[in-house]
Amino acid sequence: MEFLGSASDASCITRARRRQAYDDSSEFKSKNLHAERRRRRKLSDRLLTLRSLVPIITNMNKATIIEDAITYIEVLQRDVKILSDQLLEMESSSEEKEKPIRIDDQINNAAEEMKKNGIEEDVQVTKISEKKLWMKIVFEKKRGRFTKLLEAMTYLGFEMTDTNVSTYKGAILVSACVERTYEDTLEVQETKELIQQIIRSI
Amino acid sequence: MYEETGCFDSTSMAEGAVEENMELELQNQLSFNMDNSDNTNHLMQHDPNQSNWDAGVQVLTYETGHDHVDFSHISQDDRQHCNINVSSSLSPTTPDLLNLLHLPRCTASNSSISFANPNQTPSVYDPLFHLNLPPQPPLFRELFQSIPHGYSLQNSLFGDERDTNGGADLEFTKEIACIGRGGREAGRGKIKKHFATERQRREQLNDKYKVLRSLVPNPSKTDRASVVGDAIDYIKELLRTVNELKLLVEKKRCGRERSKRHKTEDDGAGDVESCNMKPLGDPDQSYNNGSLRSSWLQRKSKDTEVDVRIIDDEVTIKLIQRKKIDCLLFVSKALDHLQLDLHHVAGGHIGDYYSFLFNTKIIEGSSVYAGAIANKLIEVMDRQYAAVPPYQ
Repeated sequence: MEFLGSASDASCITRARRRQAYDDSSEFKSKNLHAERRRRRKLSDRLLTLRSLVPIITNMNKATIIEDAITYIEVLQRDVKILSDQLLEMESSSEEKEKPIRIDDQINNAAEEMKKNGIEEDVQVTKISEKKLWMKIVFEKKRGRFTKLLEAMTYLGFEMTDTNVSTYKGAILVSACVERTYEDTLEVQETKELIQQIIRSI
Repeated sequence: MYEETGCFDSTSMAEGAVEENMELELQNQLSFNMDNSDNTNHLMQHDPNQSNWDAGVQVLTYETGHDHVDFSHISQDDRQHCNINVSSSLSPTTPDLLNLLHLPRCTASNSSISFANPNQTPSVYDPLFHLNLPPQPPLFRELFQSIPHGYSLQNSLFGDERDTNGGADLEFTKEIACIGRGGREAGRGKIKKHFATERQRREQLNDKYKVLRSLVPNPSKTDRASVVGDAIDYIKELLRTVNELKLLVEKKRCGRERSKRHKTEDDGAGDVESCNMKPLGDPDQSYNNGSLRSSWLQRKSKDTEVDVRIIDDEVTIKLIQRKKIDCLLFVSKALDHLQLDLHHVAGGHIGDYYSFLFNTKIIEGSSVYAGAIANKLIEVMDRQYAAVPPYQ
């Protein structure tokens, strides 16, 4: 299998050498041949796909497919940049008109919906192990409120693992395991009151 | 072997450049082999073959480190002359023969091409010296089989032994073939790189693969098939992003125009009209055939994987991170910045990883796109990783 010896591809070289080292029987040589053929076919199939994607192709040989793909990718990247810059520019110029209206709508709707569906704000805390508590909070949804909740929790040294958040009808439900980042044990009542304070303040 | 040459010649003068290349390869192959068997007589025997070429043959100007051979507008007589020269210089060094054999070539375009590559290092022709002369018949069989199908010729040539760089004579013929094919491009005004040796051609091809790999955002493996695979995915992603951005720009523009119309029109009738127009005649809708905006992409960084999918105004984000950081807070902040309204979050600790799924809605009026979301999230996560002390 002399002609496999000078393969340009690193993986091909190691594979070929390994095979040569171990096997000398013709059966293994043919397996190698099959593997090599499969590898080459895989590469040429992918090259065909690449060519089919690129609209401007100059020549049909391997080198130019790659070249044309490189050019095309650069063109697309440039287009993306131009369009996104354009978008940014448009956004900054028209931002002032749009925003104020929307936020107010959302806030009013959330409170109304909650009341309409009989959802009340609620905090539940239970101990599930020495160092872990489980909490469930329902509160009114407002923009950025969840972030503030997380901020407050982190600040107070609570770590929320295995968190789940759902929203429905203007209310947010947060259920999570809570651990203290420091070594002290957690008291259920304390924690509950803390959380209630947090909710009131955000 | 030589009988095969005979029947080859009879079909030699077809118009297709492919067949010309074939003939060229074959003849060069033969003369090359003959050269190696030190049989100069046979070379003379093949001169009539070479002189069969069209009178309108143009030849390359070709520079190498050692030799500078210049041919232009050779008529048949001259070619005979140079073939004789070839044979006379045959004995001293084989590289000269190789040089000269590159030159006589038929091009359909009838333009002289000068291949001057100043960066080329003068190098010994490696293929020659390492020539093993593996069995000839397979090569010829391939060539014969592919004669009628001009396209498959190329496939069989580079589909088969390309990567393995089989015996040096194989390399040599492919080199000729490539020069032949490259010549067709001359008419388009492209400057074609000239590769003096097969090694340089290989190196250039490898360099191209490297460049391609460097363009793609998350290259995984170094082997050629995955580089091409990554490039395919990346091109598709770029196309999606471009479409998405175009759509957003259109929407923005229409939105602006509509708001301007709102300002200039006082009556309610005008407002109703513009409201009704939205689902019907909006340029972006018709551009989209009324379909939903959709886009998705994936990004990976060293410890984070992000998958962003957008359908209409809902954005689904999957986030997988490998280190133990409280990422929820930072992600939530980032989402607020991006004007995404969090609706659902689910996730937790799986083995070494933290995995989260965020269902969000785009706040109306925002024109954020998938690429921006992914980039921002990766940026935030990487910043946090950098801030975390290493022992955690």
